[in-house]
Amino acid sequence: MSTLFTINKAPSSKLLDSCLRTAMSGDCILFIEDGVYHGISAKALSRIPEDIDVYSLKEDIIARGLVDRAKDRSQSANYRRFVQLCTEHSKVVSWF
Amino acid sequence: MTMSEAAKSFTFISRSPPYGSNRPQLCLDAALATAVFEQEVNYLFLDDGVFQLMRNQQGDAIQAKTLGNAIETLDLYGIDNVLVDADSLRRRDLAAEDLLLEAKVVSEDEVRELLARSDFVVNL
Repeated sequence: MSTLFTINKAPSSKLLDSCLRTAMSGDCILFIEDGVYHGISAKALSRIPEDIDVYSLKEDIIARGLVDRAKDRSQSANYRRFVQLCTEHSKVVSWF
Repeated sequence: MTMSEAAKSFTFISRSPPYGSNRPQLCLDAALATAVFEQEVNYLFLDDGVFQLMRNQQGDAIQAKTLGNAIETLDLYGIDNVLVDADSLRRRDLAAEDLLLEAKVVSEDEVRELLARSDFVVNL
C-alpha cells in the first residue's frame, strides 16, 4: 500500500518539507514541472530518506536545460514511466 | 523637452522559473515594450528567476516556447543592463559561467541601491 507523491514547484516552495512529513519507507517521490529543480539540488535531495525512491520527469528536465546537472539520486522517468509509477502505487498524492 | 530628458528609469525584477507560469514572459514583454520608448531599463533576475538563464533549454519537450531564446534577445532591444542576484545563484549551486548570457552579478546592497534610484519597479 505504497504512495506516489508528485511535487510540481521549485525547492523555494518548501513543498518537499511538507511531503516528507507524510511520506514513509517504500513510498516514491516524482518531481514534475518546476519540481524538477529539486533534482539538481544536492541539498534538497539529501533530505530524502534512502528508502524512498526519487524520480524526475525527463521532458521537464530537458525543457529547463537541466540534463547535465541532474544528480544521480533522482532517476529520470519519461511519461511512460510516470504512468507505470501511478499503477505500481496504490494512490497518488499531489503537492502543488 | 527631448525624449532623453524625459526618460525615467525602470527596473524589472523577474523572480519566477521559466515554464511553470507565464510570469517570466509577462515581465519580459513589459520590459521590451518599455525599452521601445527609449526609457532606461534594468532587468534583474532574482530568486527562482535565475533558472530562466540556464543554458540548453528545449521548450519543445513540453510543447512550450523556449524562454531562454527570448532572454538572449534582451540586448538587441536595447536592454544592456542585465543583472543577476549573487545570493540567488549561490543558493542554487549556480555560477555566472553557467548562464546563457553575460549578466552583471550583483550583491544584496547593489540591488537595494538599484531599487532606490529607480523611478519605477515592476516585480513579477
